[in-house]
Amino acid sequence: MMKPVATTRSAAGISTGMLAVWWLLASEIVIFGGLLASYIMHRLAHPEWAEYASHTNTWIGTLNTFVLLSSSLSAVLAHHAAEKGDGKKAAKYLLVTIGGALTFLVVKSIEWSIEIHHGYTITANGFWAFYYVAAGIHASHVIVGAIVMGWVAWYANQNRELQRVEMVGVYWHFVDIVWIFLFPLLYIAK
Amino acid sequence: MSDHAHSHGGSEGHEGHGEEHAHHGPEHYVRIWVILLVLLAISVLGPMLEIQVITLVTAFGIAVVKAFLVCKYFMHLDVQPKYVLYFLTVALAFMLLFFFAVAPDVMNHEGQNWTNVAAQEHIARALAEQGHGAAGEAGDFDAAGVFATTCGPCHGAGGAGDGAAAAALNPRPANFTDPAFWADSSRTHEHILTVIRDGGPAAGRSPLMAAFGAQFDEAQLEALARFVESLNPNAQ
Repeated sequence: MMKPVATTRSAAGISTGMLAVWWLLASEIVIFGGLLASYIMHRLAHPEWAEYASHTNTWIGTLNTFVLLSSSLSAVLAHHAAEKGDGKKAAKYLLVTIGGALTFLVVKSIEWSIEIHHGYTITANGFWAFYYVAAGIHASHVIVGAIVMGWVAWYANQNRELQRVEMVGVYWHFVDIVWIFLFPLLYIAK
Repeated sequence: MSDHAHSHGGSEGHEGHGEEHAHHGPEHYVRIWVILLVLLAISVLGPMLEIQVITLVTAFGIAVVKAFLVCKYFMHLDVQPKYVLYFLTVALAFMLLFFFAVAPDVMNHEGQNWTNVAAQEHIARALAEQGHGAAGEAGDFDAAGVFATTCGPCHGAGGAGDGAAAAALNPRPANFTDPAFWADSSRTHEHILTVIRDGGPAAGRSPLMAAFGAQFDEAQLEALARFVESLNPNAQ
């Protein structure tokens, strides 16, 4: 199948799609970096936040970290299968990754329901405002990632556009990395 | 695939076509995943020792290591063109610049020519609500109880300026539950602390307000000041 020039040109040394993913992640670094930097400033300057932070559930956070790390494994295995030209296997691994994303979201919504039920809402204080905004923006990335992976898996299953498997995988690993930093900030440092 | 890994044993499959498998094979990814899980376990268990240094190292040091492993082995950042790493690093550097440029203003609540009164009062109030007294240093000091017995005769046990002796005093003792009292912007945390410690005249207030600096240590005075501030109805 003929492809338009833009998807195959290689002056950048990598495909245009891959280049776009890296640019996307550079902008994501600024979004999450700014958010986390602001959180750290306030956390360090407000001794009373220690008490607020002590109410987050470390075990639920740990479970979700486990889920995301594991979904990153299946994402990289999908990439590996795609590199070998095995689209069906890549699609299967992407579905496992989507399963991880859904598990993460289910656990998160249970966690939030419990917290809101206890009165820890987004307006309770600065800490909880950051908690919901940071985890909320992250969760929205999980949702978008799951949808895009479903789309990529659909094509991969027909052995089409296998280069996209790596692209969505790289995005997914970034979402994982953001959580790797959110986890100690919100759940561990108490 | 797994047979291949076993046949090479500890040599990590570097012979023959092993190079590709060593760095990109599924066993390799699973191994990285296991390392990540071990690191996760350490980052959860470390802080349970409740030693601050260990908490910081296990929580944040390990997060950096985990992120590095994911970048290198899952994202394959190391085999991308160098400029990808450069612009990601520039984005990260801008975030550090942002942090260090803004942090002095956000994190300090007092400067040479300014005071972030709102932040100071917010912290004092929140800590008082959490029952920390003066950041925990006042120990078992019961600010509310001491206020009722020591300050209560004039200011009233609830701080409404309606103590037993209040009617006989002129000027009347301050009513801390009156928003108008707090509307006066000169009533900062430092001001309240000074009045309690050194008495009314020392701060240009009522001569009838005695100095209590000799009765309480600094942490206890701090706790009393915070208790008084907690009576501000606008602070609730």
